[in-house]
Amino acid sequence: MMKNAATITWFILILLTITSALVSKLESKYVVLIILTLSVLKFFGIAFQFMEIKKAHVFWKTLRL
Amino acid sequence: MNTTAIDYKNIWYPPGGILVWIIIVLELFTFGAALIAMAYYGNQESELFHNSSLKLNTTYGMINTLFLLTSGYFMAVSVSEIKKGNKLKSQKLLLLTMLFGMLFLGLKSFEYVEKLNEGITVGYNTFFAFYWMLTLFHVIHVLVGLVILASVYFGIRKENSNTKIEDIEASAAFWHMCDLIWMMLFPVIYLLF
Repeated sequence: MMKNAATITWFILILLTITSALVSKLESKYVVLIILTLSVLKFFGIAFQFMEIKKAHVFWKTLRL
Repeated sequence: MNTTAIDYKNIWYPPGGILVWIIIVLELFTFGAALIAMAYYGNQESELFHNSSLKLNTTYGMINTLFLLTSGYFMAVSVSEIKKGNKLKSQKLLLLTMLFGMLFLGLKSFEYVEKLNEGITVGYNTFFAFYWMLTLFHVIHVLVGLVILASVYFGIRKENSNTKIEDIEASAAFWHMCDLIWMMLFPVIYLLF
């Protein structure tokens, strides 16, 4: 994995985590949806970039979905 | 160390090997099912779950998420460096990976002590039964992951190391699994209710 790609992924994951913590304080009916969407994005960020599932057979990529 | 290129497109060899991936998939399904059950009970006892979640410190949860993400980042770069043959750099990054894993455990222990001092144990109510069971089960995985990483670290430190790149990738996959599980636990336990 390229170190730059890992660094960018890490930075985005940190931003998404802070965003989800801030969003949870809001009073809106969409809060749950936003938090879950951000979590799914973080999940895929880790699986595809850190775990290198992007390089794996399509079967393993699909299983992540 | 053998760093022969592996064909990841082979269905039988996802990064880390198929055995660790069978474990990962089973673990994610187990935690996923428990979280669905938690959401179901949360829907049944919404006021209790809301009031209970207010007793949790979101900042602790967020900082712990940052610790695990940073640890996962160092792990990913460590694997990348060992593949390039930078053994020394990889070792240092592995140490950082373990350090952030231990920071996670330190803050989690602090949170547990706080809860125990407040009399909030596993039998306190339904929300905290899920909280204790899920987070403790996750902590056990982190502890096992740290033991695996320590064994890899001492393995690659040897002059005539017989640690294979597949072993390092499998350990990394297990460590990242701990991240994935926490990415599911953190929003549901700390933020949703």
